Amino acid sequence: MQKFVDLHKRNLLSGLLILVFVWSLFSVNWGPDLFHSGGKHTILQMVKSFFQPDLSPEILQLAVTSAWRTLAYAVTGMTLAILLAVVLGVLASGILYNGKQRIWVKSSLRGLLGFMRAIHELVWAWLFVAAVGLSPFAAIFAIAIPYGGILGRIFADMLNDVKPEPIQALQSNGASRLQLLCYGYFPLAAADMISYTMYRFECAIRSSAIMSFVGLGGLGYQIHLSLDDLKYHEVWTFIFFLIGLVILVDLWSRFLRKRLVS
Amino acid sequence: MNAQVEHETKTTRRRPGFIAFSFLLAVTLIAASWIYILFVEEASLFALFSEKNLEHTREFLFSMMGIGVEEPAFFSKESWMNALRLTYETLVMSILAIGFSVIGMVLTVIPASANYADGTLMLAKKWYSRLVYGVIRILYVFSRAVPELIWAMLIIFIFKPGILPGAVALALHNFGILGKLCAEVIEDLDMRPIRSLASSGAGKTQILIYGIIPMVMPKFITYILYRWEVIIRTTIVVGFVGAGGLGQQFKLSMSWFHYTEVTLLLISYFILVVLSDFISEMLRKAVQ
Repeated sequence: MQKFVDLHKRNLLSGLLILVFVWSLFSVNWGPDLFHSGGKHTILQMVKSFFQPDLSPEILQLAVTSAWRTLAYAVTGMTLAILLAVVLGVLASGILYNGKQRIWVKSSLRGLLGFMRAIHELVWAWLFVAAVGLSPFAAIFAIAIPYGGILGRIFADMLNDVKPEPIQALQSNGASRLQLLCYGYFPLAAADMISYTMYRFECAIRSSAIMSFVGLGGLGYQIHLSLDDLKYHEVWTFIFFLIGLVILVDLWSRFLRKRLVS
Repeated sequence: MNAQVEHETKTTRRRPGFIAFSFLLAVTLIAASWIYILFVEEASLFALFSEKNLEHTREFLFSMMGIGVEEPAFFSKESWMNALRLTYETLVMSILAIGFSVIGMVLTVIPASANYADGTLMLAKKWYSRLVYGVIRILYVFSRAVPELIWAMLIIFIFKPGILPGAVALALHNFGILGKLCAEVIEDLDMRPIRSLASSGAGKTQILIYGIIPMVMPKFITYILYRWEVIIRTTIVVGFVGAGGLGQQFKLSMSWFHYTEVTLLLISYFILVVLSDFISEMLRKAVQ
């Protein structure tokens, strides 16, 4: 009987979600007004240049340097994010202290982590650029804050999910809390933490590419410039470089994850 | 037996190798990137904290908080109404986006799973299923490797500004992610119920409806809701290039230096994100 009710709840929910989507369709003004007058022609041009990306040496060189810059912003941003996440994550997991203040510290830090990741990295970047001007640090901080928030929360969860037996064994041998952290929690959670960080690193590359939107260099910046000049051939070259970069990182993290988990 | 032992020692010998290599690669990357940022781009952290910059930052923060500003936007009812309307628009955009990407995912996910391609899922194999599998997987990789904002930049050339181009751009990116996640769900399916259905004479459609769909449904809904949360966060970004909603207004207010309006928009955005996280978590609990 319980199973029957559950099944229906699920179907009911799916039906509800579909209804919400159908209702959202009505808020679009469907009609010929939706497209630009030259829209069809533009699609054709874009598709055509997809098969003939601009492979001239200057563009390739530009693409390589921009790809490196995008990678460098992502890596530096992630370094800071990992530092932030380890510190805040350990504190937010509440394994370093107990007693009354524990719940208070835990929930306020989790709130802080939630706030950091609630705001999209590009919004952070824009605010930084408006506040401190164009500097690579605007991009680095803009990546570090939301990624630090996500990683921090996940790290805290992973540390809390560590199997209790090894920790108790250490505890009964008189290990201090800091020793518990270094010899108990970290080694046990390391594989999960690293694989999640690698997954996020792939996302950070994409984020770093769009940082260019607020004026910071990289692949996205070149895509933006080429689009403004309507040079679709170049646009695709840069997009292919971005895809290549993402795939490389994806492959790396996939191999590493396999090795770590098995 | 002997072969197995040999295999095990081989893998244990190879395992630290790759991990050590990854570690070295990571250290090199981190060092090279920081050197590049600090010495080639000559970004100086101290320059950020110069007198002039601090003054500028303080001014910016004060004007965001509405200090010294006549009629800050968050005290005017009109601005609030406008922000609420934009929030609603953003919400609709996110629902359209997730809807489109789910439609795309549902249409492609079964041929995109490896166990369908090699014929173990439906217990039937066609000569072209390997090919279709490859093509769809390449499509997934392609669509998810390109960030939403870049899709939006391309699409805005085709559609007129509004919530539809934003929704399409978000859908294109999330189509690849949802497709990959959901294909993995199908690949990890427990095959026994399907085999038992097939052995009692169920046809292909019956296997699909009574075997596969009920098993994958909860996971699919979980992933869809999780991606919807991410989409809500990203709607503001596609708005920057003219795809409507809070993002478009954010960009306009930023370029007109109406910083109190920016604050108001950020508050609405934050409320929307928190609310959608809450709703999605509630629904996900209901599914499980």
